[in-house]
Parts: sequence; structure tokens; C-alpha cells
Amino acid sequence: MATPQAGIDYDALVKEDRVHGSVYAEPRIFAEEMERIFHRGWVYVGHAGEIPEPGDFRLKKIGQQSVIMVRGEDGQVRLLMNRCRHRANTVCQVERGNAKTFRCAYHGWTYRNNGDLSAVTYQDGYDASFHKEDYGLSPVPRMDMYRGFIFGSLSPAGITLDEHLGQPAKEQLDLFVDLSPAGELDVTAGVHKYGYRGNWKFQLENGMDGYHPNFVHQTFFTAVQKRTGLKLDLFTSHSTGLTRDLGNGHVMLDSREYNKTNSHLLRAALPTMPGGDDYKEAMVQRYGHERAEEILTAGGTHMLVFPNLILIGVQIRVVQPISESETQVFLYPTLLKGVAPAMNIGRLRGHEAFFGPAGKGAVDDLEMFERNQAGLSARVDPWLLLSRGMQRERRDVDGTLIAQMTDEVTQRGIWRQWKKMMVQGGEGSVRRQLRASGRAAQTAH
Amino acid sequence: MPVDHHQIENFLYREARLMDEHAYDEWLSLWAEDLLYWVPCNEDDIDPQRHVSIIYDTRPFLEDRIERLKSGVAYAQEPKSRLRRVVSNIEIEEGDNGEVTVYSNFNLTELRRSRQDTFAGRTIHKLRPQGASFKITYKKVLLVNNDEVIDNLTFLI
Repeated sequence: MATPQAGIDYDALVKEDRVHGSVYAEPRIFAEEMERIFHRGWVYVGHAGEIPEPGDFRLKKIGQQSVIMVRGEDGQVRLLMNRCRHRANTVCQVERGNAKTFRCAYHGWTYRNNGDLSAVTYQDGYDASFHKEDYGLSPVPRMDMYRGFIFGSLSPAGITLDEHLGQPAKEQLDLFVDLSPAGELDVTAGVHKYGYRGNWKFQLENGMDGYHPNFVHQTFFTAVQKRTGLKLDLFTSHSTGLTRDLGNGHVMLDSREYNKTNSHLLRAALPTMPGGDDYKEAMVQRYGHERAEEILTAGGTHMLVFPNLILIGVQIRVVQPISESETQVFLYPTLLKGVAPAMNIGRLRGHEAFFGPAGKGAVDDLEMFERNQAGLSARVDPWLLLSRGMQRERRDVDGTLIAQMTDEVTQRGIWRQWKKMMVQGGEGSVRRQLRASGRAAQTAH
Repeated sequence: MPVDHHQIENFLYREARLMDEHAYDEWLSLWAEDLLYWVPCNEDDIDPQRHVSIIYDTRPFLEDRIERLKSGVAYAQEPKSRLRRVVSNIEIEEGDNGEVTVYSNFNLTELRRSRQDTFAGRTIHKLRPQGASFKITYKKVLLVNNDEVIDNLTFLI
């Protein structure tokens, strides 16, 4: 490990087949992650389906910074920093609601829901050089959206969201949203919130780990098998499921091939589902037979959009780092627009059975993360292995890297991107500045 | 027949003790066949058909929950939480055929892995007379912190 004053050598901490335990446990590395990954790159903020009406807002975070995601009277979605331009008070105190204005309680400065400063108390106290137009709520420097997924970047320059996501990841986001025959999600069904005393990257790695479910979630699979007779062998070494690296740190567990031959999944279940036939017909009508089959076979997706968005089952999951050893996780089960209520009720009940703080699955993962964090304190051999399946990974026809479902292609993909961002220190001029200041700091020392 | 308030209070106290002591089968035996065990999420008065719940168990879901807790490999309860709760502020509303709706508050202390947490809330029970006692047909728990981050709610609440 580097001394406190020297720059951290990320090349030495992250190897292709292993990572050093300090990347989960060092407060200084966490601080650099916040700066280089969360306060500079593209970060998922929220979904447009959470704020369908003008004035609807949600309080969110980009890294450790408070941001209001709001739909203005003009119907436009904006990301505004939650900080009064006068004395930095927060102007929004509640997590969700609908408001025409945000008023700072401290001295009464009032902002419209498009961010414009509309009223300054006793404005005669400012001279003629003061213009209200200069003091609207600061927008997040860059915002962009794909299929309603809203991303923000606190850096004014850098690669576009389109470049960050890339085609393979966008195709997965499409599969998640296109389960709706209207092609739209309703994200107003509330949020499960849980946390754990462990590093945020444990959630990223675990969410895309096809090696653990048969062990950690044994109780859940046993119950399903007992109740339905279905043997869930997706997460075994003979599964036809794949781990897939979509590039730029976006990775997935790809069960599409497996789904074709297994009867318990969405496509096969439709005939016995209430309203299942109508749903299938609506899907074919909208997407055509071939694409509808493709969407229904995928049944959604199971992916990570680096660094903080996970899509599993019906849910949008957001990973919120708090410190190097504390993380919060928000799970938004989505409803599909254009389907019968029974189908959306089924989505909710299915989600609740496994997820949330009282669910029968995800909480056991949290227990693993806490044990994992505790295990890091033993440092005789400080490395964590990432080598599973390295000898059998290969390029698929679309250029993405794949291997067997229980292989660690996904973890390696996450770490490659992490290292890239940590070593480069962000993008463009920021990167050069950082290197320069790093050199200056070392020289001073 | 007038409702015996003392008997109903004892029923609630017994239920609380069984939850505190992880007496899973005995606790499950308090429930009717047609049950609903509901812990709303984010707000107390949500529509569970279009808003997520923390728990929304009909009988098969509750049976799976209990089976799981008894398995020894439900890791979020290995080690188990140590629990003690106080049930109080009991109000009883009499319905038809001897059925009662019971409102109560609870304050629960949980200790696990050297960390002590407090949970509090209001519970609404619907009880149906059966033999000399009751069966729970409906239980809704309004957690004070149902819109906050909760790490682990895998013990019985």
C-alpha cells in the first residue's frame, strides 16, 4: 500500500485475475472513487417514469452531492443542484413530491421548478450588477437520457452518454423497457431501501455473479422447487447461461439461451397467466412476431450499468456508496404500461418475495457483504481472486466477451473499467490537471 | 357474547413472545388459513396492488418464510437476532360474529452482531374466534421507519 502522501498505484492493486483488499477498505481510495468515478463520469440518477407530471420531483444523489430531479411546467426533466445560490442551504427537504417552486427557508429566495430564480427577498439590497438570471439553481453540468433512464455528469466535458453506454448495453436497456407493449415504464410503485456495512462494489460484483445463487439463495430455490416442482439450474456449471462483458464496465448475466429451453420463464408461462394471451398479442402487435419473441424470451435483463445502476427482474436498483464500508441500495420495482393490472400485481408480489429488507433472498446477500468486509481485516494474503473461467472466455459475434454462467467475466469487466477511471483520473483536461497536481503534491512531499 | 378484552390482550402478548423467541411453528399456528400479513413500504396507506410492500404474505408466502427461517441457512438470521418487544396502547373494535379488530403499538429492541436497533410501530390485527381462542386473519404493521433504509427485517415483526 502506498504511503498517505504518495499517489495510489492502482495498476498494482488491480490485476486481471485478482484485486487487492484495500480497494474495498481504504478511506482514501473511496474518496478518490467519489471524485474520479462519481463526481466526474456518467452516473445513473433516476427514471423519467418516477416523475410523470409537471412539478413532480425526486431528491437524488450523484455520488455524495444532493440533486433534485424535477419535471418543469414545460414538461422538461432537469437535474438541479439542491443548493441555494445565496448561502448554500438546501432548497428541497423531502424525498418526493410535486412543487411549482422551491423556496429556501433561510432568506426566502424562491426558484421555479425549471431552476429559474423568481424572487429575491428585499432585492433592493443588491446593486444594479445583480441579475436574478445569473442565480438560478445550478443545473448538473451534463444530463442525458436513454429510454427514460436519466444520467448526470458533474463534469462539463467528457464522452457522451451514448458513448458511455455503447450499443450492447443499450440493447439490454431496450429489452427491459420493451416488455411493456406501450414501450414505457411506470416507476411510481415505491422503493425498497436497504443498506449494509460493506463496500459498494460488493453489490456490483454480487449482482452480476452467477456463481453464488445456489449457495447463498439455497432457501429460496428450495422453496420454489417445493412449491412448483421446477428445478432451477440456471446457476450451475452445466447451465447454458452466460456471463457477458458489454464494455465500459457494463456487464450482465445472460440467460437468453437458457430461457429458450426452460419452461418456468415468462414466455412459456404466458398461456397460463391471467391476461397472458392478450399481453402476447399486444406485444406482437407493437413489435412484430420476431422481436416480440426476442423480448419475451429475454424476459427483461440482468445487467449492471457502471457504476451504480442494476436491472434485475422487474427492478431498477441504484447503488449509493456512503463510505468505504457503508452502502445504501434502492430498489424500484417497475410496472409495465399497457398491460392488465394482474400482470403488474404479479410483478410486485414476485419482487417482494425475494427483495427488500424482509425478502427471502437479497438480505442474505447483504449478510455476505458484511462478512466480506469483516474478512478484509485479515491481511496475511490480501488478494481476492477474479480468475474463474479466464481460460474459457471468448468473443461473441457482437464483440462482447462471454463465458459460462458461473465464470467471473462480469467481475473482471467491472474492475477493468474501475481501474481505467481511477488511473486516468477522469477524462480530458481534468485528467491532465489531476496528474499535474498529483506530481506537484509528490514534489512538495 | 361480550368480547373478553383480557383474553385478546393475552393473545397479543403471546404472539409477541413467540416472535421474540423465534418460535416459528407455534407462531404460524396462530394464523387462519386465509391470511394476509402486510407491512406497507414508504407510506402507511398505500395501494398494495400498485405500490411495493415490505411484506405482503398470503399463506403460501408466509409458509415459505417460516420454512426458510427454520432451515439454518437463511443467513440474514444466522446468527439470529435477539429480540424483546413491548406491546401496548391496545384498543379493541368489535365486529360481526365475534370477530375483532385490535389496534396496538409496539416497541422492539433487536440485537444482532453487537449492534442494537429499535423498531416501533402500530399493528392492526383482525382476529376470528376459533374454539377457546382466536386465529389471525389479517395483520398490518405500520412501521415508523417504513420509508427509511432498513438493513435487515428478517425476524418476525
